[in-house]
Amino acid sequence: MIEVRGLCVAYGAGRRRVEALSQVDLEVGAGEFVAVVGPSGCGKSTLLFVLDGLVRPSAGTVKIAGEEVRGIRRDVALILQDAGLLPWKTVQQNAELTLRIQGRKANVKDVLEQLGLAGFERRYPGELSEGMRRRVGIARALALHPRVLLMDEPMANLDSITRERIQNLILELWYRLEFTAVLVTHDIEEAVFLGQRVVVLGPRPGKVVEVLENPGMGEPEYRDTAEFRERVHHLRELLVGSAA
Amino acid sequence: MKRVAQYLLAALVVLLVWEGVSLGFLAVRGRIVIPTPRAAIEAGLERFPELAAAFGASAMRFLLALLIAFALGLPLGLTVGFEPTLYQLFSPLIYLTYPIPPVALLVFLMVAFGLGETLKIVVITMALFFQVVVAAQGAARSIPRTYVTAVRSAGATRWQLYRHVVIPATLPGVLTAARVSVGLGITMVYIVETKLGAVGGPGSGLGRFIEYYSFSGELSLAGVVGLSLMGLMFYALLELLDRWLCRWKHLEGPGGA
Repeated sequence: MIEVRGLCVAYGAGRRRVEALSQVDLEVGAGEFVAVVGPSGCGKSTLLFVLDGLVRPSAGTVKIAGEEVRGIRRDVALILQDAGLLPWKTVQQNAELTLRIQGRKANVKDVLEQLGLAGFERRYPGELSEGMRRRVGIARALALHPRVLLMDEPMANLDSITRERIQNLILELWYRLEFTAVLVTHDIEEAVFLGQRVVVLGPRPGKVVEVLENPGMGEPEYRDTAEFRERVHHLRELLVGSAA
Repeated sequence: MKRVAQYLLAALVVLLVWEGVSLGFLAVRGRIVIPTPRAAIEAGLERFPELAAAFGASAMRFLLALLIAFALGLPLGLTVGFEPTLYQLFSPLIYLTYPIPPVALLVFLMVAFGLGETLKIVVITMALFFQVVVAAQGAARSIPRTYVTAVRSAGATRWQLYRHVVIPATLPGVLTAARVSVGLGITMVYIVETKLGAVGGPGSGLGRFIEYYSFSGELSLAGVVGLSLMGLMFYALLELLDRWLCRWKHLEGPGGA
């Protein structure tokens, strides 16, 4: 579904040129759930922005469903770090935002219901708890019926209970709706719990340093297994080593 | 209602202080230096039709200038603040012209616009225009990136970006600036009405009213009260506008889990 070859991304020019990603190769199969981890500033979010068509690669090719990404695609949705809600729009208006901008029919009733947001349509983000705000961000993405769901730290800055709830929600939606998922996170345990494969990016300019196959992901008891702890430990060693 | 009570209380305090100062001068100097609030209000009521006409004329002048300043200053301030290239080009120009008081250019403005109503509106507009431009530019520069990314990742056109993000995000800041500039606007109204050719009767503006009746302390002060009420009226109107257009800003904390 996603094919990245020799991807390089650089910002700025001359002495201010900063290389964010260097020679990244990545393949994600249709319906696969891939988690991407890496140290701060390694270009994890940049990778998602390239996949979303927001950032142009400096070199290399990025294809989704066999077509080169040249801009925003209607079958790709992006969930931003803090849900990207506009505080002046109600829950319903926020959920409809992308559809309206794309000139598509805006019907978010079902998706709001699925995410437990029925009855809150006319509330503003400022009136919601953090967990609900994140769900509105997810609703906005799902309203597009995406084939590819890109998530930029959707659980960052949440308390542990809400975090686990949102993780379970995302898993449940992935099982049910069968989209291809790419999750960027700095939380190693989260990556190992959710990703069928965990892609590790090295420090800036980010490149893939390891791809960890992760069978067993998503099972509720997986977190308590020795395998889970071992993989988390391995990744932590890798990341702490690469950051030093 | 609470807000109205607060204003009434403030008015009461002002009247009491005024009364105190007035009586204080009377006691020390042995004659009336500042007329009492009661005398001023009575004098104002006696000339009420004239005072009301002056109030109306000044308020219209201010409103017209405010609307023109917004119509011209808002698009300029928002685009210069939001578009990095325009910011680099135009922001030095704005900061260079911003500190110039329009009154300093009066001679040229008089030649350009003549000594009529147009000149008055132009001078007030110029003062307010820069307030709006600078406030809008500052507000547009401080829009959180995540709002912009959210809309851009939906494939928004530039106009959609302005409609969904830039305009609503900057509205609270711009309205606050507008409220702050009410004071400056009223000062400009007074200046243009008294300094730009003392023509017209006392009903042609509150500034003119105050000047026309400068021989009568009571009536002059009635005019000053008129200016104060006019400022209050615009301040309250802008606050109502803010509460209506920026409802989301005035919400009570999170509800639900």
